[in-house]
Amino acid sequence: MSEHTRRLSGGPVSRRTFLSTAGAAAAVVGSPAIVRAQAREVKAGYLLPVTGPLAYEAGLALNGLTLAVDEINASGGVKSLGGAKISMMPGDTQNKVELGNSEASRLIDQGAVAIIGPFSSLVAFSVRQVTEKNKTPFLLLAAVADNLTEGGLKYTFRMQPNGKGMATLTVSNMFEMAKNANVPIKRVAMMHEEGNFGTTMGNHVEAFSRTMGYELVQRIPYNLRSPDFTSELSKIKAARPDLLIVSGYYGDSKLIAETAAKLKIGVSALVGLANAAYSNPKFIAENRELTEHLFDGNYWHNPQSARARAVFDAYQKKFSSTMSSHSVQGYQVTFVLKDALERAASVDRDRVRDALSKTNLTDHILTQDAIRFDDSGEGISATPALIQVQNGKPVVVGPARFAEAKPVFPVPKWKG
Amino acid sequence: MTGGLLLQAVVSGLLLGGVYGLVASGLSLIFGVLRIINFAHGAVMMLAMYATYWLFALGRVDPYLSVVITAPLFFGLGVAIQKLVIEPNRAAAEHNQLLLTLGLALFFENLALVLWQGDFRTVKVAYSGASFVIGEALVEVSRLVASGGAVLMALGLFVFLRATDVGKALRALAEEPEGAALVGINVARIRAATFGLGSACVAVAGALITPFFYVAPDVGESFNIMAFVVVVLGGMGNFVGALAGGFIVGLAESLGAAFLPGSLKQLVVFVIFVLVLLFRPQGLFGGSRGR
Repeated sequence: MSEHTRRLSGGPVSRRTFLSTAGAAAAVVGSPAIVRAQAREVKAGYLLPVTGPLAYEAGLALNGLTLAVDEINASGGVKSLGGAKISMMPGDTQNKVELGNSEASRLIDQGAVAIIGPFSSLVAFSVRQVTEKNKTPFLLLAAVADNLTEGGLKYTFRMQPNGKGMATLTVSNMFEMAKNANVPIKRVAMMHEEGNFGTTMGNHVEAFSRTMGYELVQRIPYNLRSPDFTSELSKIKAARPDLLIVSGYYGDSKLIAETAAKLKIGVSALVGLANAAYSNPKFIAENRELTEHLFDGNYWHNPQSARARAVFDAYQKKFSSTMSSHSVQGYQVTFVLKDALERAASVDRDRVRDALSKTNLTDHILTQDAIRFDDSGEGISATPALIQVQNGKPVVVGPARFAEAKPVFPVPKWKG
Repeated sequence: MTGGLLLQAVVSGLLLGGVYGLVASGLSLIFGVLRIINFAHGAVMMLAMYATYWLFALGRVDPYLSVVITAPLFFGLGVAIQKLVIEPNRAAAEHNQLLLTLGLALFFENLALVLWQGDFRTVKVAYSGASFVIGEALVEVSRLVASGGAVLMALGLFVFLRATDVGKALRALAEEPEGAALVGINVARIRAATFGLGSACVAVAGALITPFFYVAPDVGESFNIMAFVVVVLGGMGNFVGALAGGFIVGLAESLGAAFLPGSLKQLVVFVIFVLVLLFRPQGLFGGSRGR
C-alpha cells in the first residue's frame, strides 16, 4: 500500500504523502474494500455520443471499451502501477461539439490520465484542442477525417486508419484481388453521402485514380435521406463501370444495394468503403440474399488471431451479440492505453504521452502489423481489412496474409 | 441507352412524386383549414410507420391491411394533439404555434429513440422486392401501390369534402372561420376532426411507404422537407394541387439525378420552389382553402 503510494507520487515520502497514506490506512481499517479500490486506481475517461443520433454505434464502441477494462482489471490491473485498476469515467457528447469540449474539460479536471473518443470527426476536431491545451493524451476512436492529426499536435493519437488510408488501401486491396482473378478493373463508379465523411472518401478515390490508373466514370454525392436512388443508379449503369464503391450510412447504403440489385447494374462487385451497413452483422442477418458477396473495406479484427477469437467469445457471453467493428476498436484502443500505462509506470500525463508515442504493440487483434505511431500520432501500419459476405457471414478476404477465405470475384449476381 | 435512362427517370420520378403527394396531402389539409404549418407531420408519419412495423412484426398484419387499424388510431392521435396541444394555443402568435409543432416533432423523434433505439427496421413481405420492367424501365410494385394510393386518397378526400356534412363544414371553416362559427358549426370540433383526418392521411402514407423503406426515428425527415415544398407548389391547402405538386417535384428530382452531375438534383427542386414563391406565391394550382 505505502509502496504503491510512493510510486504514484514519484519521490520520497513527503509530509503530505505521509498524511494521506496514514489517513488512507486509517480508513482502510474502517471500510477496507472501498478505499483499497480507490487507492489502486488509474482514472481515464471516454467521450462518446452515447445519446443522440449516433447512440447505437457509440453503444457498440462502449461495449468494447467496457470489455477491455473488465479484462484488464480482472487480470491484475496495470502491473507497473502496483496493480492499479483502470477506472473509465463516462462522458457523453451527444455528438455535439460544445458538449465534447465541456465534457473533455470535466474529465481532465477529474483527473483523467487520457481520453478515448469521441467517435465523430467533427467533435474530435474541436476536442483535440482542449486535450492539447491541457496536455492530456487523446486516443481517437472511430474518427476518420484526415485533418485530425494535422497541425503539429503532440497529444493526439489515432490507432485506426485515417480517411486516406481507408480509401486507398481498400482500393489497392480490390485491385490486388482483381489482378489475382485476372479480371481487370478499368472503370470505377462511386456513390457517397455528401457530408464530410463521404466527401473525404470520394476525394481520395478520385485522387487515387491517377496513381492506380483507373477511370472514375461517375462520382455521385447524395443526400443520405434521399428516398430513391433509381435515377442515380441508372446513370451509373449507363456508364458501364467494373466496380461500384459506396461510402454511406445504414439506410442509404441499404437502399442503394437494393436498387442496384433490381436494376442489375452489371458491375463485377459492389464495394462498401467504410460503409456502415455492408459488413454489419445485423444488416447481413436481416438481408441475407441482398448482402451475399457484398464487399466492404473497413476496420476489422484479425480472424487468424486466437486472442481475437477469445475476445469475441467473451463479448458474446457478456453482451449476447456478435462483436462489431466499433466494439473491436473500443476494445483495442483501451489496450493501447493500458500498454502505455505499463511502460510509463506513472500517471503523469506527459509520461503517458511519451510512452504512447513509443508504442510498439504486437499483441493486438487488428489486421495489421504492430501498432505504432508516427510523429503526428497517426497509426503507422493501420490497415483496413477487405471483407466479403459469404454464406451470410462477413469474412476477411484481404490483405492475403489475414484472409480467412478466398474472395468470390467477379460476383455473378452483380454481373447479371 | 439515353432513351432508356430518360424513361427510367420519368417512371421513377412519377413513382417518387406519388409518394411525396401522399405525404403532403394530410399536411395540405391541416394547413388549409387550421392555418398551421405542422412540422410534426413527418414525425407522426414516423410513428405510423412504427405502428405498421410492430403490427407486422408482432401480429403478422400485412402493412396494407394494417391501415384499417392505424388510420383510426392516428385519427385519434391527431384529435388529441389538436385538443390538448394546439387548441389551447390558438390565440398565441403564429410563430408560437410553429414552435409548438416543431417541439412535438422533436418530442416524438426522441420518444421513438428511447423506445425503439436508433436501429433501422424493415418490413419484409412477399412483395417487398417485387418489380417489373416496362420498356427498359424498372417499376417497383410497392412504390406503384403507394403512388396509386396517393391518387385514391386525393380522390377520396375530394369526394369527402364535397359530399359529406363534415366535409362541407370543414370547407366552410377554411373559407371563413367566423362565418362558419356564426352559422352554428362547432368549429373547435371541426378543427380537431381536421387534424385527425390529416394525421390519418399520413398514417396511410406511412403504411404504404413501409414495404419499400426503412423505419427509424428520423425517417420522417426524408419526406418532411419535400412535403413542404410540394404543399407550397400545389398551393397551400389545395391537396389535389399537392398531388400534382408531388409529381412535379418527383420528376424534377429524378430527371435532375439522371442528367445533372453530382447532387444537383435537390437544387433543381429548390430552384422551382423559390421561383414559385417569387412568381406564383399562391401555388401553381391557384387557390388554397381546401378546394
